Amino acid sequence: MTGRFVSVDSTNKRISAELERKMDEAISRYPSDRKRSAAMPLLHLWQEEFGFISDEGVGWIAAKLELQPINILELVTFYPMFRQAPAGKTHIRVCRTLSCAMVGSYQVMERACAAAGIVRHRDDNGMHHPFSVSKDGKYSIEFVECLASCGTAPVCMVQDELVENVHPENAPALLANHQSLITHHVPPPHPLEYRLIFKNIGRHDWSPDIDCYLRNGGYEQLKKAIKMSRTEIVNEVKTSGLRGRGGAGFPCGVKWSFIKADEKKPVYLICNADESEPGTFKDRYIIHEDPHQLLEGILISCFALNAKTAYIYIRGEFPEGARILERAIEEAREKNFLGRDLLGTGFDVEVYIHRGAGAYICGEETGLIESLEGKRAYPRIKPPYFPAVLGLYMCPTIVNNVETLCHVKHIIEMGGGKYASLGRPNNTGTRIVCVSGDVQRPGYFEIEVGAVTMGQLIYDMAGGPRYGRQIKAVIPGGSSAKVLRADERFKLKLKQPDGSMADQEVSLYEIPMDFDSLAAAGSMAGSGGVIVLDDSRDMVWTLNNINEFYAHESCGQCTPCREGSLWMQKITDRMLLGGGVVQDPDTLKNVADNIAGRTICAFGEACAWPTQSFVEKFRDEFAARSQKPVPPPMPPEYTPEELIDHDRIATTPLKRNPGREETATAGTI
Amino acid sequence: MSEQVSASAPPQMVNVQINGVWHEFPKGTRVIEACEKAGSYVPRYCYHKKLSSPGNCRMCLIEMGLPKMGPDRKPELGADGKPVINWMPRPQISCAQDVSEGMGIRTDSPLAQECRKGVMEFLLINHPLDCPICDQAGECRLQEFSVEYGRADSRFLENKVKKPKNIELGPRVTLDDERCILCSRCIRFCQEVAQDDVLGFVDRGSHSVLTAHPGKRLENNYSLNTVDICPVGALTSSDFRFQMRVWFLKETKSFCTSCATGCNTVIGTREDVIYRQTPRENDAVNSSWMCDYGRLNFNYLQSEKRLLEPEILSGDKLVPSDWNTAIAHAAAQLKHFSGWEIAIIASGRMTNEELWLTRQLATTLGVDLIDIVPRTGPGDDILLSVDRNPNTNGARLLGVTSYPGARLREIVDGVASGRIRGLVALGEDAADIGLTPAQLAGLPAFVVLNLLANNSTAAATALLPSFGFAEKRGSMINGKGRLQRLNRAVRGPGQARDDWEILRDLIQAYSGRNGIYSIEDVFRQMSESVPALAGLSLSKIGDLGVQVLEIEQSPAPLWELESEKAAR
Repeated sequence: MTGRFVSVDSTNKRISAELERKMDEAISRYPSDRKRSAAMPLLHLWQEEFGFISDEGVGWIAAKLELQPINILELVTFYPMFRQAPAGKTHIRVCRTLSCAMVGSYQVMERACAAAGIVRHRDDNGMHHPFSVSKDGKYSIEFVECLASCGTAPVCMVQDELVENVHPENAPALLANHQSLITHHVPPPHPLEYRLIFKNIGRHDWSPDIDCYLRNGGYEQLKKAIKMSRTEIVNEVKTSGLRGRGGAGFPCGVKWSFIKADEKKPVYLICNADESEPGTFKDRYIIHEDPHQLLEGILISCFALNAKTAYIYIRGEFPEGARILERAIEEAREKNFLGRDLLGTGFDVEVYIHRGAGAYICGEETGLIESLEGKRAYPRIKPPYFPAVLGLYMCPTIVNNVETLCHVKHIIEMGGGKYASLGRPNNTGTRIVCVSGDVQRPGYFEIEVGAVTMGQLIYDMAGGPRYGRQIKAVIPGGSSAKVLRADERFKLKLKQPDGSMADQEVSLYEIPMDFDSLAAAGSMAGSGGVIVLDDSRDMVWTLNNINEFYAHESCGQCTPCREGSLWMQKITDRMLLGGGVVQDPDTLKNVADNIAGRTICAFGEACAWPTQSFVEKFRDEFAARSQKPVPPPMPPEYTPEELIDHDRIATTPLKRNPGREETATAGTI
Repeated sequence: MSEQVSASAPPQMVNVQINGVWHEFPKGTRVIEACEKAGSYVPRYCYHKKLSSPGNCRMCLIEMGLPKMGPDRKPELGADGKPVINWMPRPQISCAQDVSEGMGIRTDSPLAQECRKGVMEFLLINHPLDCPICDQAGECRLQEFSVEYGRADSRFLENKVKKPKNIELGPRVTLDDERCILCSRCIRFCQEVAQDDVLGFVDRGSHSVLTAHPGKRLENNYSLNTVDICPVGALTSSDFRFQMRVWFLKETKSFCTSCATGCNTVIGTREDVIYRQTPRENDAVNSSWMCDYGRLNFNYLQSEKRLLEPEILSGDKLVPSDWNTAIAHAAAQLKHFSGWEIAIIASGRMTNEELWLTRQLATTLGVDLIDIVPRTGPGDDILLSVDRNPNTNGARLLGVTSYPGARLREIVDGVASGRIRGLVALGEDAADIGLTPAQLAGLPAFVVLNLLANNSTAAATALLPSFGFAEKRGSMINGKGRLQRLNRAVRGPGQARDDWEILRDLIQAYSGRNGIYSIEDVFRQMSESVPALAGLSLSKIGDLGVQVLEIEQSPAPLWELESEKAAR
């Protein structure tokens, strides 16, 4: 372990007064006895200044926060955005996750490396994807997991900039002039859309500053809310039937009512802006295009919950989003929408930005809370650590998704009853659905919940499959949702023309896009990320890509997920290389069964459901790659490589080679 | 989360159904503990009752249910008059929840069994399975639970994750990361008990490894407790490593005599060689821990400096003798002097029985000048006491000293002035109290009873080799007034004898037979004279000791401090 620190401890630079001032400012954002929370902000500041976190940096930050160096080292090695060695002058992150991999991110990586003269190496046994630096030190490149822009796949980050629609042939241009590659534009709303949150997005006269926001009725709902009683606001939210848009779909008003009205401890509100479920890319655009809408939702919620401090936990890969929100907070402060004595109400409220650093598990609310406390994002056991009782700093805490908090503003505007009339009972309001994968017009669509079917979404709104292709399967709620086959039939309770409810057998395309219907179909609405797979897709490859994501993102705290997620990846790795044995599909399914429902947090289900559903629903494809006899348990020196080399299974070549990390296999299988 | 139940009020009891049978437990009992009490042990790796519960190993998954509530918000009762239980569909961990009224638990249902089998398999896929050369073998929880929940074959066809091996985490602890199951017990121990936050996990997922920061070492005085609580062979004691297969060790319950705390221990021996000492749980004394200093302080018993046979002064040098001659010789030497010409240096390391006989010897000889040698060192607020004598309280109680060390000056002056002509040094080095070699050499009678050669043994006129703490039986009273019992773990070396026997024989050389044939006889005599010990016997002391003295301002037992901390 010691070895890796010897060569990198070369900063030995003086900490400038400016850096220290910034650090002190960061520390001041947390309660004075909770300095540890500033660990990640300080690590970001250190890396921005010196390019990487040296051993000296670990020691210095630990001393600054009165911690032990191990406390900081634990973070540096947990969060992939923190580097322990210098990167190139230009650092490129290539998204490796499903939607991007489907349209060529592995080829992007290959070509970018060739152009930059980078010979990629892979740490045989490391957790994070290693980054590789060109000999001249000009460039460095790494694979990263989902950058939350699946609608414009493949995407890369060059330094802090997101570069969208990077076609493999354009990859070399990443090195030169990346800005010009941004091709993202917002199409006008589709007629099937119902826009509340995205009302202003893409308007030619719209800008994300506060003046524009105020000209369009901004902060009027905050003004309205502060004249209401706290209970009235909570009741409106309850009446609205709003369900969380982050993935679990928990009723927001019920969550809020867990906070006691006479709570003595400080109450915290946390906005979960750690958007990272593959296939989901809505929060990024809310933050970028309409930050004040989010801020207004947060401030109304703070007022309703008597939360005097709110943190926006924004994923580290959204540096621009963090800057936009910081600016919005300052603008709002100037107008006294936050800060001391909000609009003369006597209510003091502060909103702070807290940046993550590349860990999907921070999307889990208790993992997020641990991360915000300056620790590894290990989710907490529930009971006893229900956030509403023992949350941030063991105080009552409400964690809500970005989109959910935006809806609060509209609930105040419309009234809970009116809001509840949108959508379907128990599935109220609007929600933003993100479509990516094999469709002609990937993107986000704000729909009335349940008012649009899967067919309308995919064919009418997203343009349907590419020419000559047919849809094979759909992952309806982010990559952790169970896959649905295009030719499946589902039994749902649906509203009949006469208004009554009745069981009805429907096709995939007839499923209404709402929480309950997708749950009844055996999957979930999740985070609203719909990934479409057409008939050119190899399901073993697809599952392998998803498995790699979850194996990479497992926090490693509890046994089933830590061991099972990597095991599942290794099995599908081997199957793709022609080394599948007859028992592999059953083993895969059983490993997944042994994870789901037995872990500390919902990540267990998230990583098990894809395997369970892919193996079950595409059994023939998995069986085709699993034809070898089960090897005898002895001799012990037997290796999986031998299994692969010996009588490699002849499988039909992939119709389109989507690429994968083959260099890895020697080390990881 | 559990409510603190004060000791005076009877604890509120709750009814819990475990595997179909209803039991009563005090409110605040952890489910996992309740199951154990009910005879259904739930396997666990990360849970340790003296540490916080992270719930990370998932081995203790069970089925749990709560009473089904009727429309009147009261539990619905079944035909047996007991609450109907609503079973939760998902398994629950039993280490982090307390029992509640009407709770139902199934520890052996098909689901619970299946969960354990799944977790067992996960824990083993990347484990090296190098049991034949692993120090933990024989006391490894992976092995134990494999017997019950493991598979005979492996489905794992992949390469195992490679991790660092043979890392010196500190001077006394060696780490094998491939064996580590990431239960975090050691990390929590360092944070919560040793107050030295030095261990942590680095990297993520299946590649997570336990480590100390490269610039820091696990070198606190409690580091070896991490080895005890490590459920697998990841953390091993650098001292004990590769010395002995644990299944060959004979285990003897005893306590540590390196300070006044008297941590309860198990001494592991084979064929009269001590291989290790480990702490034994006693909430009134040491919780479940002991310090490294005390734990490793036994090698002197196997030292080359051990005195192996009695010696007497013949001419101008010590010559080997037999016990009868040596005792007679020592007694004869002392008989030349009156009581006021003799002084006795006793030791706070002697057992009560030895101190009692010392007192008898002083009475027989008419000696008034007697004291013990105080022994102090830096203490901490965990277990290590400033008083490094294990039995200062016994010496006080039995009248061997009133204030330890107060009369040593008098002894030194007496020897210097020539008034003291006979000196008896029991388990202490007379040179340590300031007597010079010349002064000692000039004493006409200098009877030394000790187990090791020291700076003054060469000057003895009679040298009587005795036993160490692991070689004898006896009792001591720790710093908090608790009477505890030493048990014999090994036989003493050579012709060395048990201290009480030597003292008895010396007394008998003056006064004839006194009816003492066993150490039980000594204790009986002592308990008949000392009110604090009335009604007790060595066997009544038991494995956990008996509180016999109320020590003013004694610090709270560690366990209470831990409970307070947990409550905070």
